[in-house]
Amino acid sequence: MIQLKNISKIYGKDGGQQIKALDNASLTIDKGEFVAIIGASGSGKSTMMNILGMLDRPTSGEYYLENKEVSTLTDDELAHIRNKKIGFVFQKFHLLPKTTAEENVELPLIYSDRKNTHTLAIEALGKVGLSNRSKHRTNELSGGQQQRVAIARALVNEPEVILGDEPTGNLDSKSGLEVVGVLQELNRSGKTIILITHSSEIAEHANRVIRIHDGKITEDYKVEQPLDARAELAELEKTNN
Amino acid sequence: MNKYKIITSSFRILRRNKLNTFFMILGIVIGIAALSITFSMGKGAEKQLTEKVKNLFSPNNILITSGRVELESGRSSESSVTNLKIEDIEAIMNEVHGITMYAPIQVTPDRDVIFGNKNISTAINGGTAEGELVWRRSVIAGEYFTKADEKSLARVALIGTKIAKKLFENSNPIGEQIRIGAVPFTVKGVLEEKGIDPHGTDLDMNVIVPITTLMSRLMNVNYIIGAKLEVEDASQTEDIAIKVTSVLRERHSLNNNETNDFSIVTPVVVKEIIGKMNRVFTLFLPLISGIALVVGGVVIVVIMLMSVSRRVSEIGLRKALGARPKDIMFQFLVEASVVSLLGGILGLAIGLTGTWIFLFSRGLTFFIPWQTILFGVLFPVIIGIVAGIIPARKAAQMDPIEALS
Repeated sequence: MIQLKNISKIYGKDGGQQIKALDNASLTIDKGEFVAIIGASGSGKSTMMNILGMLDRPTSGEYYLENKEVSTLTDDELAHIRNKKIGFVFQKFHLLPKTTAEENVELPLIYSDRKNTHTLAIEALGKVGLSNRSKHRTNELSGGQQQRVAIARALVNEPEVILGDEPTGNLDSKSGLEVVGVLQELNRSGKTIILITHSSEIAEHANRVIRIHDGKITEDYKVEQPLDARAELAELEKTNN
Repeated sequence: MNKYKIITSSFRILRRNKLNTFFMILGIVIGIAALSITFSMGKGAEKQLTEKVKNLFSPNNILITSGRVELESGRSSESSVTNLKIEDIEAIMNEVHGITMYAPIQVTPDRDVIFGNKNISTAINGGTAEGELVWRRSVIAGEYFTKADEKSLARVALIGTKIAKKLFENSNPIGEQIRIGAVPFTVKGVLEEKGIDPHGTDLDMNVIVPITTLMSRLMNVNYIIGAKLEVEDASQTEDIAIKVTSVLRERHSLNNNETNDFSIVTPVVVKEIIGKMNRVFTLFLPLISGIALVVGGVVIVVIMLMSVSRRVSEIGLRKALGARPKDIMFQFLVEASVVSLLGGILGLAIGLTGTWIFLFSRGLTFFIPWQTILFGVLFPVIIGIVAGIIPARKAAQMDPIEALS
């Protein structure tokens, strides 16, 4: 599904001070995987996220998405692929202010050629359990709800991959678990999930963990028994009562 | 890309940023309001002027006035030239072929017109029997002057409908005695309604007495200030005007190096005068509103640039979600043109209402020239697109990573 070959990303000009954000990183992610990419800040994981999300181009190396080299495509072609194949979930939600949930979810569809955008948006909100909030403005929703709207937005165009950049970073632990729970559910229904995080606790919910340090992949292992966010939530409910 | 959704969402964005939208609209509203006012009034004035002039001055008319007419200002300067006589006009009638009729012109300054205890101050005009045809104005009650009235210096008067209304209210004025200053006159007829002439004179306030009576009994002068000639064949008017000029020059003993001590106004000259007056309305005033529009455009540029900086993360997000640079460009151009189109429509509404109130209060008819609507819609859209280009390019070229971080 996704294949990175010897990807490097160097910031700064030749001769000046150069920072190697990614250094010859190679990895393969198969369809249906739930991968957590973990690393401290400055480790290169954000650069990894930008390159995986095709928001940035590598300095060298090759990126194959469904066996197609994408790092040489034009900006317009990349925009098209982002729209169709990738759903983004950001740490800061990035919802449009003063705008309803359904309008936010509809946004990727505006840049596609799909019809019935309104119906699709409502359906996507249903998948994250917010169909009764579709007319609410985003500033009227809680943090956890806002991130679920963002996930619905990532889902609405039925992408192959959902790319989460610290999606739980701005949430309390309960809302964070809810969001991870939604991602696990999506994974169970067949979506490929890539979750960028600095928290090993969150990473333990994935099937596979890739650790980045100083721009290099230092660890890549399967999680034999991933944590189940739903079960943890249920546990949390019990202790509170 | 779903253009329809982008356009509808631009309305939403503008609605949710009311203060920005207000300031962006303001300049355009002022510009278009000013433009539509000046343009409608200009066109209205032109239309009315043309109609009135057509009434007063048809293609087979020549107007002689004593003294020189200042064409630049578009109106005749009151002159104290006293050498134009009725005999001059009679000589023209004898020597130049193709003129069927004429009406001499003489007018007093305001005089008191008195009936019983009622009193109106108005100018008194001199008329002749043929004036009925030459001025295309008859009576709606009573009778017009006769040649005999002219010859006998009869003390008879024709009065406008407003004079009749004011002096006699609803009673019949025909045959009643009025006084003009100290001189008694009999009301012979009530003139047709004509409204206000191009110089702003209310023709329904006219009082006309035989010109002979006016000159000897009211003014004690032997000259006239002008005459209107009626030419048989309209295509000959300009040629006849040249002949009239030479007859008058001869009678006034002017040398070749002396300029005319009179003016000849022909339809061609009238057209020039109207054209000059209209240029003020349709060229100069729109220029001023054009400046307001340019200022409005600059305001849009500035506010849109601010808005782009404020919406960095929105732009980055849209790009991440699949918007191409040209999609972002399109969005901001749509926002700019929608906002200025709104300004245009609002400006048109204000401008046309203002024009209507102004014209209505002066008893003038109101009509909307199609050009006003066209420009009021077209200009703002063009301004919006032009003003939107810089901000839209800035937004389109934004790097999504920086925008999102």
